[in-house]
Amino acid sequence: MGERLRETVTGKGMLMGFPIEIYAIQMLHGLVYGMLLFLVASGLTLVFGMMGVLNLAHAAFYMVGAYFAYTITRYTGSFWWSLLICPLIVGALGILIERFLLRKTYKGGHLGQLLLTFGLFFIMGELIRLIWGTAPLSVPAPQILAGDVSVSGMTYPIYRLFILGFSLLVLLGMSLVLTRTRIGIIIRAAVSDPDMVGALGTNVPIVFMGVFGGGAALAAVAGVIATPFLTTYLGMGDAALLDCFVVIVVGGFGSLFGAFIASLMIGELQSFGILWIPRLALIFQFLLMAVVLIIRPTGLFGEKE
Amino acid sequence: MNRLPVRQLSWGALGLAVLFILPRFLPEIRIHLMTEIFIFALFAVSFNLMFGYAGQLPFGLAALFGVGAYGTALVFNHFPGIPLLAALLIAALSGAVAAAFIGFFCVRLSGPYFSLSTLAFQMFLYAVALKWRSVTNGDDGMGVVRPDLHLPALGSISMRSIHNMYYLTLIVVTIGILACYLFLKTPLGNSVVTVREKEIRASFLGYNVFLIKLLAFSASGVLAGLAGGLFVLYEEFVATTSLDMNMAMTPVLMTVIGGSGHFLGPVLGAVFYLMLQDWISSLTSYWMLLMGGMFIVVVLYFQGGLISLLKLDWIWRLRNRGNR
Repeated sequence: MGERLRETVTGKGMLMGFPIEIYAIQMLHGLVYGMLLFLVASGLTLVFGMMGVLNLAHAAFYMVGAYFAYTITRYTGSFWWSLLICPLIVGALGILIERFLLRKTYKGGHLGQLLLTFGLFFIMGELIRLIWGTAPLSVPAPQILAGDVSVSGMTYPIYRLFILGFSLLVLLGMSLVLTRTRIGIIIRAAVSDPDMVGALGTNVPIVFMGVFGGGAALAAVAGVIATPFLTTYLGMGDAALLDCFVVIVVGGFGSLFGAFIASLMIGELQSFGILWIPRLALIFQFLLMAVVLIIRPTGLFGEKE
Repeated sequence: MNRLPVRQLSWGALGLAVLFILPRFLPEIRIHLMTEIFIFALFAVSFNLMFGYAGQLPFGLAALFGVGAYGTALVFNHFPGIPLLAALLIAALSGAVAAAFIGFFCVRLSGPYFSLSTLAFQMFLYAVALKWRSVTNGDDGMGVVRPDLHLPALGSISMRSIHNMYYLTLIVVTIGILACYLFLKTPLGNSVVTVREKEIRASFLGYNVFLIKLLAFSASGVLAGLAGGLFVLYEEFVATTSLDMNMAMTPVLMTVIGGSGHFLGPVLGAVFYLMLQDWISSLTSYWMLLMGGMFIVVVLYFQGGLISLLKLDWIWRLRNRGNR
């Protein structure tokens, strides 16, 4: 990839063998992927912070969202319908899973939850394989967002800018809900001390069910907007699961702000890793995780283990 | 140590005798299946050493299986003429070394962090196996020629026939499982269970919790690596499938469905899983789904697993779960 970029862009300034424009573009790429990752990881982090449940099936919600986006876009002919409908379906799925399966395991401790959510992750992957097959699928970006923009000699796909803008919008909405509304205050309180919130008269299980569904819907949103720029394929769940886990470890368990910073770090690391050392790009994030695990096992912004 | 467990030993000997005679009455394709069952029984037992006895869930145990598998294949391809048993020894050792290394980072974590960080290491190794084509041949995998077995007393035994591979696997797996059983009987094995029950109390009593967990994980790595090595010998091929997500899932499914609360639960799970796979996968492609559904049912409603149906507790009194 690096070689190709070197040929297509002819800039004046060079840095470590690459024109400076490349750095701007790679940084944008990293930002786009980081934001996408944060959309997936935020639900996971909130759920983990509230109930201590590490939901491995969460990455499957992202994958289910992407596959539904393919089908809905094909039938309705509009990407926007899938962006509207997918999160609703997947959110409902999340609520059902929490209510009827996951809730049974809270008393039993971590092992049961891990096993159950791992099993669900596996089953959802299998269902997708049976329904949609193994071939990678792709959805074209909507007409308005196709094409490139060029700013002072650099071209950049509009669709990626849309992802960036849209996920920033979601992030803004989420932070407004969490900091400015009553339900947001309850959620944040429940993250820091669920028992106390329950004792004060809030129905914590219902709040949790809502947060679980909301997290699933956010993952589905990420899946939908990812489809036109990453292809939809069976391994995307595995990749997302691992990336999300690295995000949670690096950012700190249960810390939303930490997840945000870590998502951007992983996005940039992957983006520049591919630029400099394409063959070892995958190793950087694991190195980062290993270093964080050794120096600060609770993560950069985590407080409780 | 207690006095010799005569009844258990005689049941074990009887079972082994049956397994030794069985190939005479089975068609070749069944012998293939049985060999595979032995290998995965060993893998599942090594998983349950961590899961059932140490109380930690190593999702990424297939990392060690894969290290053993790739280790064996690389040794065969780069040092032709190496004795077969030496290669298996290397598989076990490489499993142990990899486990000690991975464990050094992961064992200090507990619960979900331990589970997922082992999985992260596995995915890391998967990426290495996929990308480092000059060594691992990437997606295409590597073929291995199964060499003859040279024994001092018996001379040379051709491993071309699946019958001989069956017997070799049976013997190695029996030794591995027996070693695991005996390991759990030692004071070290008991302290593994102690740490699971109450880590803080164990460390107050002066146990080095980190070291005990690391040793348990390494022991588990020995068996998983050995299973990986046998798997390569049996398949005469190694590819990234020995490090992928399905391979991570396999021992988890086998152990939980078979029953993690019993030493032989994983073995039963491996038998059940592979026989069902053999039977159903020829009829329908839904079998993984069926297995996953069964897994969820066991996790939610039926934590004893299949082995609790058999009421075999009086044979092996090694109950590891207590009355939870």
